[in-house]
Amino acid sequence: MRLIIRDDSDGASDYVANYIINRINTFHPSAENPFVLGLPTGSSPLGVYKVLVQKYKAGLVSFENVITFNMDEYVGIPRDHAESYHTFMWKHFFSHVNIHPSNVHILNGNAPNLEAECVAYEDAIKKAGGIDLFLAGIGEDGHIAFNEPGSSLASRTRVKTLAYDTILANSRFFDHDISKVPRMALTVGVQTVLEAREVVVIILGQRKSLALQKCIEEGVNHMWTLSSLQLHPHPMIVVDEDATAELKVKTVKYFKSIEKVAQEAGFEQILPSKVRTGNGPIPQTTVDEVSSPTIHAPQPTTSRLLRATPATEYPIRSVSPDLVPDRMASRIPEPHLTDRLTPNPEQQAVQNAITA
Amino acid sequence: MPIALSPPFRPRNGLTKFTNCRLVRGNKLVQEDLWVSSLSGKIVNSQAAFFDDLVLPDQTIDLGGRIVSPGMIDVQLNGAFGFNFSTLLDDMSQYGKKVKEVQKLLVQTGVTSYNPTITSQRPELYQKALPFLGPSGHLQEAEDGAESLGAHCEGPFLSPTKNGVHNVDVLIEAQTFEDLEACYGKHNLTPRAEGEQIPIKYITAAPERGQMMKLIPELKKKGIIYSVGHSESTYEEASEAVGLGATMITHLFNAMRPLHHRNPGIFGVLGIAESLPRPYFGIIADGIHLHPTTIKIAFNAHPDGFILVTDAMHLVGLPDGAYPWTNGDTTCNIVKVGSKLLLENSDTIAGSSITLLECVNNFLQWTGTGIPHALQAVTATPAAMLGLQGVKGSLDAGADADLVIFSEAQTPGQPSTLVLDEVWKFGTRVHRATPPKSE
Ligand SMILES: [Zn+2]
Repeated sequence: MRLIIRDDSDGASDYVANYIINRINTFHPSAENPFVLGLPTGSSPLGVYKVLVQKYKAGLVSFENVITFNMDEYVGIPRDHAESYHTFMWKHFFSHVNIHPSNVHILNGNAPNLEAECVAYEDAIKKAGGIDLFLAGIGEDGHIAFNEPGSSLASRTRVKTLAYDTILANSRFFDHDISKVPRMALTVGVQTVLEAREVVVIILGQRKSLALQKCIEEGVNHMWTLSSLQLHPHPMIVVDEDATAELKVKTVKYFKSIEKVAQEAGFEQILPSKVRTGNGPIPQTTVDEVSSPTIHAPQPTTSRLLRATPATEYPIRSVSPDLVPDRMASRIPEPHLTDRLTPNPEQQAVQNAITA
Repeated sequence: MPIALSPPFRPRNGLTKFTNCRLVRGNKLVQEDLWVSSLSGKIVNSQAAFFDDLVLPDQTIDLGGRIVSPGMIDVQLNGAFGFNFSTLLDDMSQYGKKVKEVQKLLVQTGVTSYNPTITSQRPELYQKALPFLGPSGHLQEAEDGAESLGAHCEGPFLSPTKNGVHNVDVLIEAQTFEDLEACYGKHNLTPRAEGEQIPIKYITAAPERGQMMKLIPELKKKGIIYSVGHSESTYEEASEAVGLGATMITHLFNAMRPLHHRNPGIFGVLGIAESLPRPYFGIIADGIHLHPTTIKIAFNAHPDGFILVTDAMHLVGLPDGAYPWTNGDTTCNIVKVGSKLLLENSDTIAGSSITLLECVNNFLQWTGTGIPHALQAVTATPAAMLGLQGVKGSLDAGADADLVIFSEAQTPGQPSTLVLDEVWKFGTRVHRATPPKSE
């Protein structure tokens, strides 16, 4: 897990946008080997889209051979409704860049058969060769896409009933009239996101800080669906300072120091070559029947989830130093800590030599 | 295997996208893209085009922050570039040719549609000329230039005491609808076949003359707009006409009784907000017909009805000088000095020779109401008066893609004025003020 911390939301958005552009450009996407990008809606990614559009207009990136898949869409509001995610994407991104409409995929919340729509969506992702980079945002309760607390971490694209809190929160976009807020949405599942070759999450603002804390400092938990990212081989979370409010100082320092070390060593962005340039193995997509509203008995999905990440995709050399708890303090540039807490073989060897 | 993507060479679809521009939307300038189609001739709902038709524009034009306005509409134009619509030619087939020449030049002034206006004439002229002046946009030919939205018959059912430059000898009264037919020609008022368009869009008449008041509902039923003008109407008479269906006032203040504090006259109907819909009204902002303050008062009385018109004579577009003018049987000279037209050896205003954009810029200078309001007075408002809201004078999806692209000229301490850069008709560029350097 990489956690990148920037002073403010602009800095974080800038970082994410430049990261995506860098990934697209080093990928050298072509018609035969397109770059497949997963995209979110919401307030957090707005700044990212803004920078992407600016850089496109400045000629620094092209979306000619980029395929996109959006995370979610409401059920039952017109596609061109001011609050639909189609409209959001059109307004903030697609209308400003050179992406071709036939490369754009957004779930159709007005499909005659919603379940079939979800199955077809998973198929389309598979046909596109899987998602190279899934950009995501989160809700205050740590939900990723519409995978609200309690969603199965093995979930796939499906129809989802919205939590009352979400409906309440969304009513501000629908004239503060709860009756106008859609009750259902189509959303990719947690597993759909985890199958992307890389996941980048942008989290901004203090309101999201508890969710960030739960997802980073605590264990994998379906009540904070973003925490499932801990099982992904190449996740990256980009946040502003405000979002770190609930994190331990130690955690913040730790991740900042890793970024610094990595930057100095010049391997800020090291992904296995297959992830970098595409043509990677198509992730095995087993589309479980969408009718999985209740899991009556513990299914072996959890173990499958843990296996779901193909070992072949691990970095050939490690991306960042592994988190070994007893070595952690040594990465924090405070000399007295290094002296006191860390077993220091060299020093011991010197001491041994003296006593000997 | 990744799916095969669309080939880089896509079939042409006639779509143009304007970006980095400010659109005139209602009374605001909105930073937004605009998509137009030269195939349908319409403004395109870009989001639907993208998600439904899976198309991208053939060309994207970066306007560098300039203003995109709907094409301007002049609802009262008597002629231009040397041709007077109230002209009887020996060979009337030449008349149609002349009209087409005018339209091609007129579009270059930013006027993308207009109502060719015939001043008071003898029946023969109406019957021969009107068939050439009917709505001409059904073919959506951008190369045809400005489009007629139907003729405006200003007269001859006018008050002889408010004739202006109209020839008193040809002014008549109507007692019945047959009298109108006898003058304009039956088929210029009633279509020969159902669904066919008639050439007349609106008439200006004095409601107090003959039985004209009673004929208003019948005209309305036929889809002909009734405008009050060249009239001695009192406030009461004008109100009655509005109650019966008059929806327009021709060149407000000119050729009518002035506003009197005990009888506000025709102007008074702009004050009726309670029971009747207030009519639209034409204003000539040439600095000669009306004082700037008068224009301001009229605008503030009823901004949604305010329409700038030129009432321009055929001398618009020609150099200064004395030009012979045949008005009915008499011929005299009109002297053109700038946009000013006077009857030779008199102080009588003989119409104007101002362009519509000059009117807009005058209005901007005099009132400081802002560019969107000024442009509304030559786009959305005249379109609404003609019953063409959403079709003309609008940048909403589905409207005809008639556009003018303006730059702003800034003078320190003064409201900025508009400079015409490009004119588009039915989604195709038809005029550029300065050709691009590369061409
Ligand atoms: Zn007149």
